[in-house]
Amino acid sequence: MVKDLSTLTAFIDGDAHQFNEGDTLLNFIDRHRGRGHVPTLCDAPQLEPYGACRVCSVEVALQADGPRRVVASCHTPLTAGMHVFTESPKVRKLRKNIVELVLTDHPLDCLTCEVSGNCELQTVAAKVGIRGVRYPAGANHLDRKKDHSHAYMTSELSKCINCSRCVRACDEIQGQHVLSMHGRGFNAKIIKGLDESFADSECVSCGACSQACPTSAISDVFFSKSIEATKKTRTICTYCGVGCNLNVATKGDQVLSIQAPVDAEVNHAHTCLKGRFAFKFYNHKDRLRTPLIKQPDGQFKESTWDEAYDHIFANLTRIKNDHGGQAVAGISSARCTNEENYLMQKFIRGVMGTNNIDCCARVCHSPTAWGMQKSFGTGAATNSYEDIEHTRCVMVIGANPTEGHPVTGARLKQHIMKGTPLIVIDPRKIELVPYAKHHLQLRPGTNVALLNMFARCILDAGLVKTEFVKKRCENWDEFENGLRALDLDALQKITGVSIDLVRAAAIEYASAEAAMSFHGLGVTEHEQGAKTVMLISNLAMMTGNIGRPGVGVNPLRGQNNVQGAADMGCQPHQGAGYFEMADVEVQKRYADFYGVPSPSEPGWKIPQMFDAAVEGKLKALWLMGEDVVQTDPDAHHVRHAMESLEFLVVQEIFMTETAKYADVILPASSFLEKSGTFTNAERRMQRVNAAVKPLAGTKPDGQIMCEILQRFGFPQADYTPDGVLAEIAQIVPFFKGATWENLGINGKQWPVKEGGVDTQIMHQEQFARGKGHFHFFPWVESTELKTNGQEFPFILTTGRILEHYNCGTMTRRTGNSDIVTQDLLSINPEDAKRKGIRDGDIARLSSARGEVELEARVTDEVKPGILYTTFHFPEAMVNNVTGQGCDGDTMCPEYKVVAADVEFVRMGKLKKKQKDGFAPAMV
Amino acid sequence: MSKNLSALSFRKGVEKNVFERMVDAADKAGTAEKNDIVHQMGQDHLFGDAITLGAVSFYDFLKKENEGKKVFVCNGSACLCAGTQDKLHHTLETHFKPEEIGHICCLGRCHEGGALQYQGKNYSGQSDDALAELIKTGKGDAEDRYAVVSHLQPAQLTAEFPGIDAYYEPFKKLIAGGDRNALGAELKDSGLRGRGGAGFPLHFKWSSCRAAAGEVKYIVCNADEGDPGAYIDKYLMEKQPHSVLLGMMVAGWFAGAENGILYIRAEYPDSVTIINEAIQDLRAAGLLGQNILGSGFNFMLKSIKGAGAYICGEETALLASLEGQRPEVRTRPPFPTIEGLFRKPTIVNNVETFSNIHAVLTLGGKGYAQTGTPQSTGPKLLSLDSHFVKPGIYEVAMGTPLQTVFDLAGGFKNKIKAVQIGGPLGGIVPLSHVGQLTVDFESFKMAGFLLGHAGVVSIPESMPMIEYIQHMFQFTADESCGKCFPCRLGSTRGKELIAKARADSSYKIDRELITDLLDTMEQTSLCALGGGVPLPIKNALEHFGAELSPFFKA
Repeated sequence: MVKDLSTLTAFIDGDAHQFNEGDTLLNFIDRHRGRGHVPTLCDAPQLEPYGACRVCSVEVALQADGPRRVVASCHTPLTAGMHVFTESPKVRKLRKNIVELVLTDHPLDCLTCEVSGNCELQTVAAKVGIRGVRYPAGANHLDRKKDHSHAYMTSELSKCINCSRCVRACDEIQGQHVLSMHGRGFNAKIIKGLDESFADSECVSCGACSQACPTSAISDVFFSKSIEATKKTRTICTYCGVGCNLNVATKGDQVLSIQAPVDAEVNHAHTCLKGRFAFKFYNHKDRLRTPLIKQPDGQFKESTWDEAYDHIFANLTRIKNDHGGQAVAGISSARCTNEENYLMQKFIRGVMGTNNIDCCARVCHSPTAWGMQKSFGTGAATNSYEDIEHTRCVMVIGANPTEGHPVTGARLKQHIMKGTPLIVIDPRKIELVPYAKHHLQLRPGTNVALLNMFARCILDAGLVKTEFVKKRCENWDEFENGLRALDLDALQKITGVSIDLVRAAAIEYASAEAAMSFHGLGVTEHEQGAKTVMLISNLAMMTGNIGRPGVGVNPLRGQNNVQGAADMGCQPHQGAGYFEMADVEVQKRYADFYGVPSPSEPGWKIPQMFDAAVEGKLKALWLMGEDVVQTDPDAHHVRHAMESLEFLVVQEIFMTETAKYADVILPASSFLEKSGTFTNAERRMQRVNAAVKPLAGTKPDGQIMCEILQRFGFPQADYTPDGVLAEIAQIVPFFKGATWENLGINGKQWPVKEGGVDTQIMHQEQFARGKGHFHFFPWVESTELKTNGQEFPFILTTGRILEHYNCGTMTRRTGNSDIVTQDLLSINPEDAKRKGIRDGDIARLSSARGEVELEARVTDEVKPGILYTTFHFPEAMVNNVTGQGCDGDTMCPEYKVVAADVEFVRMGKLKKKQKDGFAPAMV
Repeated sequence: MSKNLSALSFRKGVEKNVFERMVDAADKAGTAEKNDIVHQMGQDHLFGDAITLGAVSFYDFLKKENEGKKVFVCNGSACLCAGTQDKLHHTLETHFKPEEIGHICCLGRCHEGGALQYQGKNYSGQSDDALAELIKTGKGDAEDRYAVVSHLQPAQLTAEFPGIDAYYEPFKKLIAGGDRNALGAELKDSGLRGRGGAGFPLHFKWSSCRAAAGEVKYIVCNADEGDPGAYIDKYLMEKQPHSVLLGMMVAGWFAGAENGILYIRAEYPDSVTIINEAIQDLRAAGLLGQNILGSGFNFMLKSIKGAGAYICGEETALLASLEGQRPEVRTRPPFPTIEGLFRKPTIVNNVETFSNIHAVLTLGGKGYAQTGTPQSTGPKLLSLDSHFVKPGIYEVAMGTPLQTVFDLAGGFKNKIKAVQIGGPLGGIVPLSHVGQLTVDFESFKMAGFLLGHAGVVSIPESMPMIEYIQHMFQFTADESCGKCFPCRLGSTRGKELIAKARADSSYKIDRELITDLLDTMEQTSLCALGGGVPLPIKNALEHFGAELSPFFKA
């Protein structure tokens, strides 16, 4: 055998193998002998090496027959030529002795333990050949109490082996620091918070500890580590735009539990409480299980699918014949798959013959898509989550990632805690603020003013990357002139942020070797939303933060498939693949492809649809998976629109506030029951795989759309995820190289070229539109404040919390509603005092549209004059208060700026003690 | 250990040190393990409640059980062997409620025995009357008296201090225009090895830190001399404080560090005071601060008081402690010279090691190496306990016969069967073997013992060896950080085995079981605590087999 010791070669039990630089002995052994060949109790692939259990001990020698020493393989670095002995009698004995010691303080009731068969201690004990414990009975911790206080998390620390995996998971994955060891030595024990229960601690229920725990010491109410399941299906989370991969454990048609795959590129063994635990809505008793047709008396009557389809066919045909296709509109859902969205727009355009197709991206990131298209040529994140590992400066604008995008938030927090400078531009002290180097706490509605100050400071500091600007961008002069003409003093007053603070942050961003921005709906849901997006793009361009690792403009997309819904053409002005519908060539291209004429008239955006309905121009609306009444602003107006329609079809999984207005309700299947693809916020198309069969009586939305197309006589094949994806790949250029097969387990980031080569970083050589375009916009005050600010002197801004998702249709039907039960109104202590409102009191929140009552939460997370709440609960109907203001370019509603007032209504009920500063944090 | 917590702690740095705040809080409130204290500190440091609570609950003087304790009785090996503590405890019970009497492990009064800490001061060898007076008035004789003898001509570590100006002359010369490479060469020539026990060549450590990338570096003095029986570092800090400080300053200049921190155990209150005074004196002399003597060299020194945890003498645990983390042992590599305090390059040496630097500067590396043996160069201090005729600190050249040291001390006052040298993890040397040993790393190692830090505890004839073994297991169980399984579980099970055999004459310890236990602890423990305690126990089993045989299966 020829062995070159100068290269990266080492030996396992005499066999030569290549290794990688930086390998530990255990990495090396795992790769060549398989995980588990060398047993371990404290090591886990998602955690850093720790070196506690010592069960992974091996012998090493510099020569095959040289002197050996015993080392723990998990943290010992490998060196060239090293001989590793994994099975020598000596190490076998040592391992057995250690495991024997562990078993002296562990209950021996495997047969009744929830993880029996999947317990790492059990497996390791069997592997090392333990037959009994030789020590006489001694001190132990078998009497530790169980903790069943929490909606999801459980602990039974008599089973704990003190490996600290849970503590490390809470630190290294979630970054929450809720768990620690307490005391020392033999009596060291795991604690939560101030040695309290899970429910009383600040645990955010991500479940990373439970997944990491090798025994059942920390587990969950779903017994996610039990071997009860007969099948595991890898799929994609249905909640936010992060796109976590999930492993769904099922038995027959029952979903038992969910874990996060270790090899998921997006989420690396992590997910949040929504992804991991909030799945019980899927077979909730409230699920719609049969089509419903509204009777003349206003009551819904159960029907067959054929009856429902016939009813739809008759009504839509009649309306189209009587009023033309323009009287029909569709709103698809960013919660549904690419394939379903694609089919929906195909139906509306191809069968109804209208561009009246929009989706819920309208109310969240339409300004991002529009603005980034104007600046760069593509309305999508320029970079990937992976770039977080490479960036030297993070700027978060109008987003609260730790709650809205928890896994990305946790990943960011990991780096920020370790010292990556963070700039937060947000009216609220979000969870990341204490870790941030700069917080620019601006008045809501002044993003444009602040970002102009920011750009001007970069300019004044001489930090513009002139070469990049000259070579790669255009329209610089107009932008520069605009900046130079700014009145900085006036802008300080407008934003409420001093120029010194802005300058410090701007210098931080512009001087970083690589700076990366993330933005959310705090950017888009404004009257100048799209303009703000373009200003963020300006900052990236002027500092050369485009087209390389660790930089870029990265919208944190709200919903699981908001990127995909727009990609698929669910917007009135652009068809599948972002081709302009107004373009005759484009119309011809689609017409050729679909074999039917393409609509040429401009379509309506969602708010225009509501107006048109009220005006009587829109007669029929088809809603796929969207509760516009609860989620869209100015709910009175939306209700009025729904009432004005002649015919409303709603495809839903639950009876929603909107569905109540429907003429036909089609019971759809949830994400756990369907297959297709979702595209996450980093343009990654990932395979959604049905974990269980559709709930009896329901159909996946894709199947419904195919059947509808067929019912209308369109030559549509039956639904298959691969079949529809293949069709999409023919018409959407950036999907060209994607196939159901080659998406694999981690998906692909578009553009996907032929052969399946995907794209992690966009705009590397040149921008998608050629040159990056600078725009200058002066700030203008929100019409809402100009109109109503006098009468309603507070500014209300709205958002989301970690535990609930949008209108809560799903999360309110899970254990999450045991954790957070209501929407709360955040008010600054100064204002609260003035208004006589104490924490927990009920307050009336009013605006020019209406009023709602909410429990007050007195907190300095908002400045005086600012109010904040969420819209998760229909009981509160916060959108009775929000207005019709919207982004001037895209009509994205102005949820973030509402002229409001607040008054004390009545004292609240006495609540159990809340630790100051640890009330549930809000978005 | 957590990288996140290291980085969060770095934000507070040395000046507003997180751990120091925990200790201060406990000094004020009697314990730091109170929810309001924990929560407030967590808020200020961005540590979760559990993190702060987990840290403070680790330390004897911060944890809840410490609250309400009024007097602390030393339970270290030397006091145990002196046989003074049962009586002391009994006497104290006439003045205090039992729950007011706590324990403390080694106050460095090993030369006298009967050690206790009361109202932050250490006492030893007190008569009943003196104790009564002390408790009544709060005043007593806290003076620490022991012999200081040098076998070297001239004395090096024990030489009379000539005053700051004269003593720091070589340092001033160094920073005025010294050549770091030249100093590196001198350090290499000196052959100086760390005096904390492991004997690691100093020049490797210092050069590694110097070469490490990073703008911020630290010098940390491990002044957590926790080995019961050792009071060498205590002597140096209290009688020769500048020898330590100068060593740290040279290290700072050499490696490019601007901060030096002394982590001094709380059991040595006088050391803290005297070191702080010495730092003040240095500052007054213009030898600390920015741009020292116009040299461009910036250096600050600060002492931080420990909180009662033997494991903090292990360097990675010490660094974790300074960061406000639980002082659990970290895996190495990376070594502290690459990722030390706050994950920044750090030189960690013990007190005695730093104290040797002055001699290297004045004598040159080769000159320094003329003292001692080729492998173990320079002088070595030993501390002798109260069983010697003249207990105290003895300075000898490395390589000096151990018997010579004992002879210098006048031999033993009492009947002794063995000495434990090098702390609780050092070997147990039967008196018959003393003659074979010379004071250097190699001699001890070859004979199956350990020089360690060279504190000497005499085990009298009257001390049953089985009790001493139990004491060592007990000590390890008490002090184990609990991170690694073999130490956490093994020390407790070992203690239980011995206790059962002592209590139950029908129970005999299985020899294979105890061998398996000791082998497992020795070979698989993460650090030298669990890994070290098997050595003296094995020594005892080997050399005192006949005495111990009734407790074991045949």
